[in-house]
Amino acid sequence: MGQYLPVFALLVLAVVFGVLSLLVSKVLAPRLPTRAKEAPYECGIIPGREPPERFPVRFYLVAMIFIVFDIEVIFFFPWAMVFERLGLFGLVAIAIFAAAVFESFVYLISNGALEWGPIKRQQRSALVSPARTAETTIRRVGLEGRPRAAEEAA
Amino acid sequence: MSSLAVVLAQAPQTTVINLAPGAGTPAADPNAPIPTPPVLWAALLPILVLGIGGLVLLTISSLLKKGAPRGFYTLYTVMVAGLSMAAAVPLWAKVNGWTKIAWWDFRDLWWQSLPTEAGPFSTLGQAIGVDGLSVFLILLICIAVILGSLLSDDFLLREGLEGPETYALLLFSACGGVIMAMADDLIVLFLGLETLSIAVYVLAASHLKRAQSQEAGLKYFVLGGFSSAFFLYGIAMLYGATGTTNLVAMKDFLSRSIPANNALLLIGFALLLVGFAFKVAAVPFHAWSPDVYDGAPTPSVAFMASGVKAAGFAGLVRVFVVAFGQYAADWQPIVYALAVLSLVVGSVLAIVQNNVKRTLAYSSVSHVGFILIAVEAATPAGIQAVLFYLASYTFMVVGSFGVVTLVGRVGDGRHSLDDYKGLGRTNPLLAAIFTVFLLAQAGVPFTAGFVAKFYAVIAAVDAGSTVLAVIAMISATIAAFLYLRIIVAMYMTDSDGRSASPVSRAERIRIPFATGLSLLLCVLTTVGVGLLPGPLTELSAKGTPSLVREPARTATDGGLTVGTTGTEAAPGQSQQQG
Amino acid sequence: MVDIIWLVPALPLLGFLLLVFFGKRIGEPLAGWLATLMVGGSFVVAVAVFFGLLDQPEHTYEQVLFTWIPAGDLHVEVGFLVDPLSMAMTLFITFVASLIHLYSIGYMHGDERFPTFFTYLNLFVFSMLVLVLGNNMLLTFLGWEGVGACSYFLISFWFTKEANASAGKKAFITNRIGDWGFMVAMFATFFAFGTLDYTKVMGQAGGLAKTTATFIALMLFVGAVGKSAQIPLYVWLPDAMAGPTPVSALIHAATMVTAGVYLMTRANPIIAASDGYVGWTIAGVGAATAFVAATIGMAQHDIKKVLAYSTVSQLGYMFLAVGSGAYVAAIFHMITHAFFKACLFLGSGSVIHGMVGEQDMRLMGALRKYMPITAGTFIVAWLAIAGVFPLSGFWSKDEIIEFAWHKSPVLGVIGFVTAVLTAYYMSRLVFLTFYGEPRWGEHAVREVVQVGGAGSEEEATTEPTESVELVNGLPLTSERKPVVDAHFHPHESGWTMTLPLVVLALLSVIGGVINLPGSHLLANWLEPVVAAGESHLEPTATYILIFSVISTALALGGIGLAYFVWLKGSRQLQRGFEPVFLEKAWYYDLTLAAFMGGPGRRLFEAISWFDRTVIDGIVNGVGAATLGVGKKVRRLQNGYVRSYALLVVIGVVLITAFVLTRMLQLS
Repeated sequence: MGQYLPVFALLVLAVVFGVLSLLVSKVLAPRLPTRAKEAPYECGIIPGREPPERFPVRFYLVAMIFIVFDIEVIFFFPWAMVFERLGLFGLVAIAIFAAAVFESFVYLISNGALEWGPIKRQQRSALVSPARTAETTIRRVGLEGRPRAAEEAA
Repeated sequence: MSSLAVVLAQAPQTTVINLAPGAGTPAADPNAPIPTPPVLWAALLPILVLGIGGLVLLTISSLLKKGAPRGFYTLYTVMVAGLSMAAAVPLWAKVNGWTKIAWWDFRDLWWQSLPTEAGPFSTLGQAIGVDGLSVFLILLICIAVILGSLLSDDFLLREGLEGPETYALLLFSACGGVIMAMADDLIVLFLGLETLSIAVYVLAASHLKRAQSQEAGLKYFVLGGFSSAFFLYGIAMLYGATGTTNLVAMKDFLSRSIPANNALLLIGFALLLVGFAFKVAAVPFHAWSPDVYDGAPTPSVAFMASGVKAAGFAGLVRVFVVAFGQYAADWQPIVYALAVLSLVVGSVLAIVQNNVKRTLAYSSVSHVGFILIAVEAATPAGIQAVLFYLASYTFMVVGSFGVVTLVGRVGDGRHSLDDYKGLGRTNPLLAAIFTVFLLAQAGVPFTAGFVAKFYAVIAAVDAGSTVLAVIAMISATIAAFLYLRIIVAMYMTDSDGRSASPVSRAERIRIPFATGLSLLLCVLTTVGVGLLPGPLTELSAKGTPSLVREPARTATDGGLTVGTTGTEAAPGQSQQQG
Repeated sequence: MVDIIWLVPALPLLGFLLLVFFGKRIGEPLAGWLATLMVGGSFVVAVAVFFGLLDQPEHTYEQVLFTWIPAGDLHVEVGFLVDPLSMAMTLFITFVASLIHLYSIGYMHGDERFPTFFTYLNLFVFSMLVLVLGNNMLLTFLGWEGVGACSYFLISFWFTKEANASAGKKAFITNRIGDWGFMVAMFATFFAFGTLDYTKVMGQAGGLAKTTATFIALMLFVGAVGKSAQIPLYVWLPDAMAGPTPVSALIHAATMVTAGVYLMTRANPIIAASDGYVGWTIAGVGAATAFVAATIGMAQHDIKKVLAYSTVSQLGYMFLAVGSGAYVAAIFHMITHAFFKACLFLGSGSVIHGMVGEQDMRLMGALRKYMPITAGTFIVAWLAIAGVFPLSGFWSKDEIIEFAWHKSPVLGVIGFVTAVLTAYYMSRLVFLTFYGEPRWGEHAVREVVQVGGAGSEEEATTEPTESVELVNGLPLTSERKPVVDAHFHPHESGWTMTLPLVVLALLSVIGGVINLPGSHLLANWLEPVVAAGESHLEPTATYILIFSVISTALALGGIGLAYFVWLKGSRQLQRGFEPVFLEKAWYYDLTLAAFMGGPGRRLFEAISWFDRTVIDGIVNGVGAATLGVGKKVRRLQNGYVRSYALLVVIGVVLITAFVLTRMLQLS
């Protein structure tokens, strides 16, 4: 059992730290809420309008593409350390891997994942209301398959 | 709790001892070549064809400016899957000790690179095994891909979703499935599982115009990730218990030394089983399947219910029946419980559904129960029954979902039982086809379903699980009712009593060529196997799994001196072909 | 000649296939003629095979067509076993079926689904022949399921009526219980013998352990009870009368329902090897069914209902015979019953046809004058079933009662009492339908109310049950208006309908010759098959004489009673002879319906509720209790994934707990 002791100790410590800090701040901190403190940005500037709820999905896309290359590097790096010792086997393996990653990049580019120009006009489906609603994007895209939405449109 | 602590406390002692020979000390010379496993490319060919095929498909579609001509992607996918099957045939011949099948002589091909003696073999440091089971499942999964892509062809056009993605994902997930079927190493198995799963998650969410589809994809993804964690945790436990992730080595280890009281090993079994049970949707790990089947695009569901399940059972059989067969007494009760729950819950809940897709989802849960009773037998006859069941179920379920695809109409949303009322009048052919599949699923004699159920029950009884067999038969009787309900809806009732009015054009469903081809194949096989189950029986009898050690490359005497772990198995330098 | 046996089932199959593909195209009369021709051809072939069989050693011939399931221990062939038993069955099935096909051409005239009807009918004959001729239990089971499916389709043939559709469903579901029994028996047989072949199984049955034999025999009996409509599974047969009348005659009187008797006879070596109480159980169930169904038949108004309960009662006789070890008598009665009951059903069909769909006997009467041929044949068949000397029913029934008496005088007495009841209710049927004054156009309702004027209370009690009866497919409300008015003139049916009647009536008269007490033709013929289980009586001539006299006297007594009540008696008296208790079939059906509609349905709902409430409830409850965020999460509406995940966790915890406890136990 002894060898697992550090693991358990770390676990206990992590839990204790988390609980303790929350508890301590709750107990010790004086609670004097003011309007400025409750504002979304507690930096003294009062926001003139509500922050926009939506921003382009491309940000996510770029972030995800970034991760793909991140992962590629994570594999490349250790391989680079020992590639001489791995010989042909390692070379073939990493080549297959790199080809697969590169191919996904080709696919992304050809599908316009990195195009930041004016957004291509997608054909609007007749069923989707052009007016902005408070609903999320997923909801709006999904309207088409829903029988109720179809009835409303008709 | 204290007793539990005692158990856990005992475990590390064995673990430490076990680890000693397997861990391997780092090479003394920092520049010495790292031993790499030999690669038999011919054995990997089915995997490579599928994987590279998927990549090439994406590349082609990326380079084409105007989109591919109609039907190109389908044709391409069918060809790639066919090629993969063709690559598997020489392996089948090798396993069975043939040099040719019919007119096809393999000796001119890459025959030389395969091991000289006939029989199952393994490669890549025992990580990939070629035996009857793996080749059988390669063929089966490829067939599922072919049937699924044929169904997708018209579906995508109808839904306005044309593109290479569905096909590429089918190929990738099939690639993962084949890896699972061939994996002799738990890490490789996990790799295959994830390749398969991730592609299928995306497939489930790929109907961009249906909110349910996205919901399904997300649910499947979250829960799938959750269960994968259990699976991985189980692998870790087993590694802790035996000091290896390689099944061959693990089996060796377990047969040599019997851990007196090994908590890690048993918990590892349990967690691994959870991972598999989730993939094949056995109760209580089935909760995702009705929602996902309901939401996902119907042709993809056809593949999920056939190919994915087949791959899951391949892993289950290989790991539990073969590698841990010695510990059958420990895992059999769990599989027993899963089988009973799946049979009962699946068939009972299917009856109360009003959505045909959900009904079929629950019915597939009860089918899983049936396959599990054959797994529980843990005998060669049981494995044969599993393979027979998987093969015949593939055709039944793809056919069923094929009909559901057509009846779903544009929007893929008309799946309630009401939409099937009067189908026998408006679309007699479609209704007749569906009836065949439903009867086959119900296990009516002279259909593949009957023979499959029969073998499963026989295997269970032979192994002494008579009670389980009786439960299975009772649940089959209950399940017969749910199939009958759909048949009755099609023939006996009409949506509003218009029994004699002429069929309007809106009611008539056109059967497109590719879908029709797929349905035809399914009907022919379902009935053909029911009438003459001999060939498939023989085929599934040859699909025996085995865990074969890789011959050591350095040994001059050709003896089978094998180390404890997979990494140690091939100490020689790499010998690559081609 | 015997090697053409495959043609016997093949011809109806061919007919079925032709009708499936071309039925609609060849249209009304031709489809019927084609089907009739196929079944008729099948009969001719069967006769040829019969003569061929006389030359075979032991009168047995087995033809294997191909191997169906070749795997491992299990080796199932598709083949036909032609032996005295299956030959006898084949001959009378194809013969009666041909006549009924011919009859149906007239009866179904004008129906818009005329070809479909014959499609089903041919498929039925094929399945029935597979059932009888199959050389192993699996093949028999196949035919067994096939006839069940056809029966189901044909009962709900006119499915636009809700009652007919639900009658079909009832038949199907009730039969599943029986099928289950057969299936279990089949598996048990396979594990006991390693084969399902009749020749091997029955040859080795003598060496079977007593408990195994008992188990198999009882399970087979469960199967037979379902198919042959014995207590407690008889409820579907009366409702099955919702189907067209030829179907009632062919499937629900002559052939399919006797499959259970065939099965028991086939399995007689197993029954012989089993514990003694198996025979007692079979005989007891048979006797009880015979008696109960006969009493119910006494108080029904629907002409087909009476015949349906009569069928159940006669099937009870056959099981009484089987239980008493009188297999030959059972088969003998099965054959004579097929003749006279088919004749009665077809006659009733002719009556219904002539009365444009009227089935209520209270609205008939005096039809003898309008439909002479139908009435004549009907009367002959009536005398046969009543057991009047020397018609066929007399011989077969007498033989059964003799054996039953030998088994136990109690069973014998029940047999006698039932014989009286049979004579009584059949006479009531004949007197109400063919004698007396024409009563169509009368409003039965008012009369009932007037007759029971003082007892309006009784009307009140029957009121709710009437509605239930409708649901079960009985068009028997007293509120119903008659189909025809007083000026209606019933007509005789065409020759396609009367010819089968005449032939069957003739056979009802002379059918007894196949097994007269002196000659024992049938007994000698069946000897090789039933040798293991048949009990032998050596009755003296006086013994036979006494029995004959008693039973003739009883039959005449029953007829006489009916004569005084139904032809001479007042309405008041007649009403007294129709107790509500019997009219409602001992309230068995209603109780069952109440149970299935109430607790039974609730059981299924409870299971579904369990999944919704308890599993989700546990899941949600755990969440709420531990973290107190259950409500918030539920508001986010994606709590489902979480529930599923928790279900997974519960599964993991259970499995791990199991593993650990197991380990602790071992260590």
